[in-house]
Amino acid sequence: MASFDHNPIVEMKGIEKHFGPIIALNGVSFDVRPGECHCLLGDNGAGKSTFIKTMSGVHKPTKGEILFEGRRMNFDSPRDAMEAGIATVYQDLAMIPLMSVTRNFWMGREPIKKIGPMKFMDFSTANAVTMEEMRKMGINLRSPDQAVGTLSGGERQTVAIARAVYFGAKVLILDEPTSALGVRQTANVLSTIDRVRKTGIGVVFITHNVRHALAVGDRFTVLNRGRTLGTAQRGQISPEELQDMMAGGQEMVELESSLGGTV
Amino acid sequence: MAETGQGAVAAPVKDERVKETSALRKALIRPELGAIVGTIAVFIFFILFAGDSGMFNAQGILNWSTVSAQFMIIAVGACMLMIAGEFDLSVGSMIGFAGMSIALIAVTLQWPVWIAILLTFALCVAIGALNGFIVVKTGLPSFIVTLAFLFILRGFTIFFPQLIERQTIIGGISDAAEGDWLAPMFGGKIAGPFFDWLASIGVIDVFERGTRAGQPIVDGIPMLIVWALVLVVVAHTILTRTQFGNWIFAAGGDAQAARYVGVPVNRVKILMFMFTAFCATVFATCQVIEFGSAGADRGLLKEFEAIIAVVIGGALLTGGYGSVVGAALGALIFGVVQQGLFFAGVESSLFRVFLGVILLFAVILNTYIRRIITGER
Amino acid sequence: MNGFFRTVATTAIAAAALIGATTAHAEGERYVLVSHAPDSDSWWNTIKNALALAGEQMDVEVEYRNPPTGDLADMARIIEQAAASGPHGIITTLADPNVLSGPIRAAVDSGIDVIIMNSGTPEAAREVGALMYVGQPEYDAGFAAGQRAADDGVQSFLCVNHYISSPSSSERCQGFADGLGVELGSQMIDSGQDPAEIQNRVMAYLNANPGTDAVLTLGPTSADPTILALEQMGLAGDIYFGTFDLGGDIVQAIRDGIIQWGIDQQPFLQAYLPVVVMTNYHRYGVLPGNNINSGPGFVTADALDLVSELAGEYR
Repeated sequence: MASFDHNPIVEMKGIEKHFGPIIALNGVSFDVRPGECHCLLGDNGAGKSTFIKTMSGVHKPTKGEILFEGRRMNFDSPRDAMEAGIATVYQDLAMIPLMSVTRNFWMGREPIKKIGPMKFMDFSTANAVTMEEMRKMGINLRSPDQAVGTLSGGERQTVAIARAVYFGAKVLILDEPTSALGVRQTANVLSTIDRVRKTGIGVVFITHNVRHALAVGDRFTVLNRGRTLGTAQRGQISPEELQDMMAGGQEMVELESSLGGTV
Repeated sequence: MAETGQGAVAAPVKDERVKETSALRKALIRPELGAIVGTIAVFIFFILFAGDSGMFNAQGILNWSTVSAQFMIIAVGACMLMIAGEFDLSVGSMIGFAGMSIALIAVTLQWPVWIAILLTFALCVAIGALNGFIVVKTGLPSFIVTLAFLFILRGFTIFFPQLIERQTIIGGISDAAEGDWLAPMFGGKIAGPFFDWLASIGVIDVFERGTRAGQPIVDGIPMLIVWALVLVVVAHTILTRTQFGNWIFAAGGDAQAARYVGVPVNRVKILMFMFTAFCATVFATCQVIEFGSAGADRGLLKEFEAIIAVVIGGALLTGGYGSVVGAALGALIFGVVQQGLFFAGVESSLFRVFLGVILLFAVILNTYIRRIITGER
Repeated sequence: MNGFFRTVATTAIAAAALIGATTAHAEGERYVLVSHAPDSDSWWNTIKNALALAGEQMDVEVEYRNPPTGDLADMARIIEQAAASGPHGIITTLADPNVLSGPIRAAVDSGIDVIIMNSGTPEAAREVGALMYVGQPEYDAGFAAGQRAADDGVQSFLCVNHYISSPSSSERCQGFADGLGVELGSQMIDSGQDPAEIQNRVMAYLNANPGTDAVLTLGPTSADPTILALEQMGLAGDIYFGTFDLGGDIVQAIRDGIIQWGIDQQPFLQAYLPVVVMTNYHRYGVLPGNNINSGPGFVTADALDLVSELAGEYR
């Protein structure tokens, strides 16, 4: 796989994050390389949100270090992380439904056209780029003025991903992009992830759904009770093993036997 | 609403369950559409019921235009702020406060009127910024914070003139403004010669008697109307055509999502509070310079009138959606209805009934529009 | 969507029906009375009734207009609007000459006759070009009341001002203080318009200043809650109590001996006479040669029967 030919873009070593007496992360090691999809699996409460926020510059780790392209990184805000090339697509905060696709796409980085001393937003460029980028992701918009609210959940995720890719993300963090979607839309999002990965971007795919992870993942890391329990390559681990690690082993085995192995 | 059949040869990837949007439906989702229809309806109504009552002679037109322009000035500010996701209930009190500030500086302190105006603008915009700062920093609803300022500013507006001048209406600004260079920007009139000409060819009436006998009854367009139009054009351009406008929509649509992509939401909101205060001060300055006095009760309930105009204009109370042109038309409807009912001979207490009916229509229409946009059931 | 448009249509028809019901025009002269009172001021009901009565008796069309919140700048717009509608005459108050003299003068200059009523002075009315002034000069009325109270041995008082933003209200209190020969100072309180608040503020003031000799209220809005406050404190009939204007409760309180006197400016005349004067002026060219003082008249417990019968309606 291409992913092993490169050094990691982001590397997290022994990260700990404490909120007062609560230890949210207690020794997390994780890295992502160009062109790979690295899945981070974990049950609710495992520390996934804290992990994302630490990686995207919202939180500063209490202990441990984060290397970005080999250098120790020290981001003060999500904005800094974003400028460096770490883009995060949050599950429900990705898009503003009442605004048009173009306005959402360019939000925060609007193209400027100068007319005399006045600076205006360059809508013709913005619209054209938006249509083109969305087409690349396999979505044909009726019109760039279309409100995001009229798009399906999967399409919204795709707009957010397309936006991150267009603005030069090197690492794309996806927070449970498939959790609220139907089967068909999930497939669309997963194929979008595949497309993005092929352009050389490192994708961090956060999910608690083992099947979704296995569908696109190159490597898998399980987060449980604030710790990472090691990383497995594709093909080295079975869905059942992943499931067990997520749930923390013992009780899952008992549960599973009582439910007839359907979980 | 035409439905695209399964066999329609259209764009390659097409969900057959998504209805094709008709032109009508597309037009409906413009935020100002309701206001455009409303404006036309209101004018037809009054031409039918009050066409010969003087409402549409020069004096009558000037009257409802001036009243509408007043509403417009504060509605523009309220509209931008509402789109950015916040309210300002202190607009009315700010109008009283700004007027009193100009009066006290110009009349009591005897400073030049232009200094009084500029100082007042600085003071009021600073109070707007304080409003915004408190809302942004505490995370409290702007409803509550600005409600507090409604009382604080009104209280000062009564307290200071009583303390200093022992009265609640300060007059004499007209004398003070004599020869001032800035005052005519707010209280003056333009296009006078044009109206002289209109009077000379008999299009508008002239005064029959008194010191102004022979002069046209309407002798120019008040700067109030000019300010209203300028504010509408500038605000509309900023909102729809600039990067900052996109940030305003984003801040109101979903502040958290906007922050994630680097929109300086707090700055946008504070600036919008400052702009609202600026608009209120424009209103107050025009009023004070025109009438020559400031009163402690000026601007009472104007904040609600501004919000009503904005809502009639199609903005959503929850923020993130709206139009300055819509708000301006909302203000026009408001002004025309308020003044027009009198021309139509309707008992004035029924004005509130009509206002309520119009407001209800506007809100129902807004809800309908939002459902189309977001596709919610 | 159909349901939505059906709602719209139904409401529009209902609204149109409402309009149709209220647009009956009478023939002949048309007079507009513009007041400065907010909707909440019930005292103006007498004015409305007298205006309607005069319109009926003289067979002219009359209209009553006021700024809903009492904002005088709004009132200026209403006067401009009234002028634009081309009536034969406008009857209006001169609550703030700075704001109102421009629109009134413009109306006069465009050929509309104006009579100033209620707030204002004969001098101010002449300055704006009005035919005459019908009313009670506020400061003078307050001064006369102050002198009367001084004769009755009053040395300190509380002025309950429910309309503090109107200068004429403050003039009443100032005139009263000058009539007594004392400094007004903090003896005037801003009571607001809410009955419960007024009642509590009066009680708070009297508790804090137990030596207060007298209470002066400026109309039913402040007098009615003040009566309740005094009853609750056991001061009713004990403390010297005078009020401007009359109303149902005030008349009863005068009868009960709680209120010593009410200053009646006879609002009935302020609305009724201008209509009569203007109609006769327009029909027969006759005009009284002077201003008309509708008040002050002191209403005491003597001769109260007719007043009480018509209080709140025509008195």
